[in-house]
Amino acid sequence: MLIVQQILNGIMLGGIYVGVAVAFTLTIGILNFLNFTIPVLFMLSGMIGWSLSFYGLPFGLSEPLGWLPSLGIGIICAILASLVVERFTYRYFKAKHGDATEHAIPLVSSLGFLLIFEYMVLIAHGSDPRGFHTPFGDLDLRFAGLVISIPQILSLVVSLAIVAGLSMLLRRTQLGRALRATAENPDAAVLMGIEVNRIVPVVFVLTGLLCGLAGALFAVNYGEVSPYMGDQVGTKAIAGMVIGGLGSVWGAIAGGLIVGLTETLSIHFFGATSAQITVWGLLLVLLLFRPKGLFGHNAIGKGKF
Amino acid sequence: MLLEVDGLDLRYGATHAVKGVSLNVAEGEIVTVLGANGAGKSSLLKAIAGAVRPGAGTIRFDGKDITGRGAAARVRAGLMLVPEGRQIFVSLTVEENLLIGGYTRSDAEIARDVEAVFDRFPNLAARRGALASVLSGGEQQMLAVGRALLSKPRLMMLDEPSLGLSPILVDQLFGLIGDLNRQGLSILLVEQNTHMALEIAARGYVLELGALVAEGTAAELGADPRLAEAYLGATDDAA
Repeated sequence: MLIVQQILNGIMLGGIYVGVAVAFTLTIGILNFLNFTIPVLFMLSGMIGWSLSFYGLPFGLSEPLGWLPSLGIGIICAILASLVVERFTYRYFKAKHGDATEHAIPLVSSLGFLLIFEYMVLIAHGSDPRGFHTPFGDLDLRFAGLVISIPQILSLVVSLAIVAGLSMLLRRTQLGRALRATAENPDAAVLMGIEVNRIVPVVFVLTGLLCGLAGALFAVNYGEVSPYMGDQVGTKAIAGMVIGGLGSVWGAIAGGLIVGLTETLSIHFFGATSAQITVWGLLLVLLLFRPKGLFGHNAIGKGKF
Repeated sequence: MLLEVDGLDLRYGATHAVKGVSLNVAEGEIVTVLGANGAGKSSLLKAIAGAVRPGAGTIRFDGKDITGRGAAARVRAGLMLVPEGRQIFVSLTVEENLLIGGYTRSDAEIARDVEAVFDRFPNLAARRGALASVLSGGEQQMLAVGRALLSKPRLMMLDEPSLGLSPILVDQLFGLIGDLNRQGLSILLVEQNTHMALEIAARGYVLELGALVAEGTAAELGADPRLAEAYLGATDDAA
């Protein structure tokens, strides 16, 4: 029974990785850009959410807010931060250096934003983990000897629903088609009348939304946030994205769940410190046999979703 | 005049791709731009479409100066380029390619116009849900034209549409261009297949190393011995 419980826990944990892995795969797939600020967007939503629920709005503008509005504002802040990153990494360098997507400049500048945002939060709140309390933090569903935390199952459902919605957006709407067309051939997309400069921020808004939501779900699930919470989740989500196949939304979902599962089972069998070795070992072995990942396509940046 | 280009000049770094070219297309006309590889024909069309910014010169469409407008505004105004090499989106389905052609439109008649394109090209209709990558070269060219039609253009610019097509498909393609023109669409056609282009066009321009070296009616250009020597002989073999 314990092993079934661990599998359940692994899938729930994977549900957190899914949102972040999909955010990574979206920016890689559409913009050919590995956006390193993604883990920090996840952290910002959790930490800003915590700060609002603990102190209230800045400058004493309000009493501490409830958990839901706190996390809501946290998600909005993650989206705004993502747009700042777009403006000053991707768009700025593209305008200044032409097709900067071919170069390491946006990647390195996004790494800069990762550290700047992380240290801003560290200066404001210190490095200690903070407890985040919700009314249903301890609600469990007990069934045949298994314990399923209700927030966890809810967050898995919310996470998958958002990604399913995103997939619908990409497949069924004109905006989604424009995103995919731009991903495949930006020059031809321009000729269709697609304004790439207006499409690109949409990717960053979606990125901020997915990461912000994952951060909020993490806070609700684990009842704890910290300025470093993005680091672990970020590397696991990258692993999940690669396992699933770069640029594939459904691959990122499968990859995120697989990583969550591998992590909890690894901890169960080999102890707490083994998780990173097992996850990345699995990734390396998988890449030996399937360099494209489970659901990947041949060429990165060409034809997915 | 539907399209008036005046003194268009374009450089890519050290390359002077288009040197002060002026041309025009009247409503309902088929006009062709001829020239060897590297003569600047594609650059000229891209500049008219707004995909690249010219260094100098003006572009007027339907009497309005569009030189400073982006590509999207030009598509909305009715100026559409079918680019060299088709450039269809192979990761989208056939139907999605058509829908993306109507990206700048917001009216409710897009679905009807998609069906009209499928009526025109039954081969495409049979594969509407398939990825465009499965289409043959000829079908891809039809899709590229169909996609352009979805934007409801008034002037369609075609860049080397016959490239890589078999003689039968080239005949079909020129038949299609003629049909579209008779239905009211103005055409600016860049071709290396000089014979076919001069047969269908009313007038033509000849570019050499980015500069305009000749212009006139199709009959005049066809009879021009310099042109015959430089281009017609060469394309006879190709066709």
